[in-house]
Amino acid sequence: MVVQPGIPQPDRQHPQTERKDSSLKGTFAAVLLLGAFIVVCWFAVFSLFVSRG
Amino acid sequence: MTTEKTLSLRDRQVDQATSRLSLAYLFVAFSAFGIAALAGMLQAMVRGGLITLPGGINYYQILTAHGVLLGLVFTTFFIIGFLFSGMARTTGGSLPVAARSLGWSGWSLMVAGTLMGTVTILQNDASVLYTFYAPMKASPLFYIGMALVVVGSWVAGWGIFAAYRRWRRDHQGSTSPLFAFMAVATMLLWQIATLGVAIEVLFQLIPWSLGWVPEVNVLLSRTLFWYFGHPLVYFWLMPAYISWYINIPKIIGGRIFSDSLARLSFVLLILFSIPVGFHHQLMEPGISAGWKLVHVILTLTVVIPSLMTAFSLFAVFETTGRAKGGRGLFGWFGKLPWKDVRFFAPMVGMLMFIPAGTGGIINASNQLNAVVHNTIWVTGHFHLTVGTSVALTFFGIAYWLIPALTGRRLTSTVNRLGILQTVFWTVGMLLMSGAMHYLGLQGAPRRTDYTTYFDHSTALGWMPYQQLMGIGGLFLFLASVLLIGILIYLGFFAPKGFTEYPIGENGDTAEVTPRILERWPLWIGLSAFLIAVAYGYPIYELIQHAPPGSPPIRTW
Ligand code: HEM
Ligand SMILES: [Cu+2]
Repeated sequence: MVVQPGIPQPDRQHPQTERKDSSLKGTFAAVLLLGAFIVVCWFAVFSLFVSRG
Repeated sequence: MTTEKTLSLRDRQVDQATSRLSLAYLFVAFSAFGIAALAGMLQAMVRGGLITLPGGINYYQILTAHGVLLGLVFTTFFIIGFLFSGMARTTGGSLPVAARSLGWSGWSLMVAGTLMGTVTILQNDASVLYTFYAPMKASPLFYIGMALVVVGSWVAGWGIFAAYRRWRRDHQGSTSPLFAFMAVATMLLWQIATLGVAIEVLFQLIPWSLGWVPEVNVLLSRTLFWYFGHPLVYFWLMPAYISWYINIPKIIGGRIFSDSLARLSFVLLILFSIPVGFHHQLMEPGISAGWKLVHVILTLTVVIPSLMTAFSLFAVFETTGRAKGGRGLFGWFGKLPWKDVRFFAPMVGMLMFIPAGTGGIINASNQLNAVVHNTIWVTGHFHLTVGTSVALTFFGIAYWLIPALTGRRLTSTVNRLGILQTVFWTVGMLLMSGAMHYLGLQGAPRRTDYTTYFDHSTALGWMPYQQLMGIGGLFLFLASVLLIGILIYLGFFAPKGFTEYPIGENGDTAEVTPRILERWPLWIGLSAFLIAVAYGYPIYELIQHAPPGSPPIRTW
């Protein structure tokens, strides 16, 4: 896909994504996982802080 | 295709005059990068006890070179070069003459300053690290050089503003191109942020290092530095975000998720990334806990635009991956163009921003900061943020930007080598930065030459991980050599031809971008207000109840 000697070909590249069928379920799940990761790491270091207190 | 035709195709993206300007910035950026990568590898090997530096070279000397040349020189030159090119690309293919001459004047000042700084470091007269921490004192030429770099970057920023002003004048009533808006926001943040370090250098460090005043207010100098130091990291990140918001959707064959959301996140970054510097001074005596709390709260506010960015990027990936046939909750992920280095390198950068940003939230939390402050955890943290997320994005940009500007082709061999380069860099950073995070939690300090603390058992226990850092450093150095080789090839030897300068289109064509987002005086005013609230009284106190001044000290 990468190497495009020659001409720019903008339109072949986006199959006009219709918004109607574009579900964002995966995005929702991904940001929840991201949030969970942040919270877990934060509490891991916090427990280190408490244990050394 | 004839050479003439490819030339005119290139010119339709970015004209030759702008290409030359942009390439001049990139050239200095990657020259500084090459020297500093060598220094970085040596540091990691020295700390692990794998080598000792030859010829009496001091550890802190190369550490200063590494921090200055990467943190200040590589990033600033790359960013300005990239922004000029994108400004031209999205405002009609060229820059107004005034913008170009400001661009060249800025470049000359910055090059002069970089040379002065580098020479004084090489002469071992400036081993004060890139944070210039007084009361360590460098040669006045070092500070003057750094001041020239900052002033040069202001002049270049005015060039960006001039190009933006021309576009607005010629298109009254229309919303500016997203790239132009974001470039202006980035350079505006930079102008406001560098005021702190400019005041520190001009009014405190230069007179003191020349011997005109005997003593320096250390607490004030550190406060002014960190007024600048935190927005500095956003100055590195914003161009990476620009690429993620604007170049990446086009590269993967998708569209920008939301133009307004992207602009709003940049406005929030201007507002909330400056009045937060005390989160670097949480262990600082002489600043009251209440004011530190104010800064911590504002710091955690910056999480919002970052999470907005994460959300809209995931949304672009999911929409595009689904359009390509990805099914299920995460099926779209595999549909992304993983074999295209223009996507792969920045995407790895984005993924690494997840642990990187998480580390930042930990650093900024007062109690957790007590665990990690001044340990090598912090160094591990920013090698993920700027050293991986930002650096890989910049590499990914350079792979298409340089051939686009020189009228050459990103060949499939270069694409494969670029992917290999990204893998080496990532493996190196995971080893080095992973070991740094672990060591930091055990208490190993940053900014420290090889030592076993008289064979203390705790310090001896760190040694295997320090060696792992050294091995990571070797991978990183290999990746750096590969990168420089590829970029020289792309700049001078790759076959002539056309390389696309990818600019995404807004996916939501019905969306109307609120005009208020482009009312700069409003955002500058609000920013000044927040800065006055967060810094006004504390700085007044630092001056009224100044700690005893310190004479200069040479620690090396
Ligand atoms: C070849 C790749 C790299 C290697 C092997 C490397 C290695 C290191 C090591 C070992 C240290 C710290 C040592 C200490 O605290 O004693 C360090 C510090 C630092 N690095 Fe890197 N690094 C690399 C790339 C980068 C990049 C790409 C950036 C930023 C764009 C960067 C910015 C910095 C900064 C700002 C410091 C702090 C200096 C100080 O504490 O004064 N490094 N690096
Ligand atoms: Cu910060």
